[in-house]
Amino acid sequence: MSENIHVLTVDDSASMRALLRAALSSRGYNVSQAEDGVAALEWLAQNGGGVDVILTDINMPRMDGFGLIEALRGQSRFRDCPILVLSTESSDDKKARARSAGATGWIVKPFDAEKLDLALRRVTH
Amino acid sequence: MRHDPDLAINTPVRITVMQGQVCVGDGTPQILTTVLGSCIACCLYDPLARIGGMNHFLLAEPHPGSGTVADANYGVYLMELLINQMMTRGGLKSRIKAHIYGGANMHTGMTRIGDANARFAINFLAAERIPLIREDTGGHRARRVDFDPLRGRARSRIVEQVAAPSVGQTSMPRAAVGDVELF
Repeated sequence: MSENIHVLTVDDSASMRALLRAALSSRGYNVSQAEDGVAALEWLAQNGGGVDVILTDINMPRMDGFGLIEALRGQSRFRDCPILVLSTESSDDKKARARSAGATGWIVKPFDAEKLDLALRRVTH
Repeated sequence: MRHDPDLAINTPVRITVMQGQVCVGDGTPQILTTVLGSCIACCLYDPLARIGGMNHFLLAEPHPGSGTVADANYGVYLMELLINQMMTRGGLKSRIKAHIYGGANMHTGMTRIGDANARFAINFLAAERIPLIREDTGGHRARRVDFDPLRGRARSRIVEQVAAPSVGQTSMPRAAVGDVELF
């Protein structure tokens, strides 16, 4: 079950953050949010890391999704934390770059709440 | 037809933006054009990078009780596509300004889907802190919109109803929605 699974969603769009919070909260997830890679790293540092999975957009100001994944994989405590990309992009070269940076998977927007739920549960169990 | 010299310089190429499409100027003289009934066209412009783009959509009505004015998931996706394409060409989200056009309620006695789509666009822009500098929406007549993506200038005119394409709601590409690939 998704109860007690803590997700950090990282997206610069306030509208997308609101959609994700509504979709995930209604399925029992504990949701925290950040607006870009820099804010995500700050949130994780302030909260002792404490999330089960990170869901990040790619195109963001200050620090994009690739930068965030690389920064997290450079820290030993996030080496095994699942990181899923959620992006409007779907090109093979972008996916390859995410994979090489250490992403766990790629989900194409617009998201389907059921598929997103299944993916989150699969990578956290 | 009134002559607009700014729209005629260097004989710009006219590109029609159909429902469900997103188009961003490539830096050459272009006019992005579309005819709208109930649909919305959102034109975004970064005045420093001189990059503009347009999308064109008609969102479905939301599920009852969803608390939204239209199919927000797909609408947010279409807006994000436009913003991302502008960022790819050097635009900056914090500099973008917006125009919205369309959203007519073409048939009396039916759901005011044009109003719902205009409200979605206005709410999205407010949430993203993108200034809405021009809006021509509502009413019950079709519009033709011409947008110059190099200058960020738009012209919206009422046209004969027959000029407006009869369209259904912009359908989400079901086959690809939310596809998951685990590495």
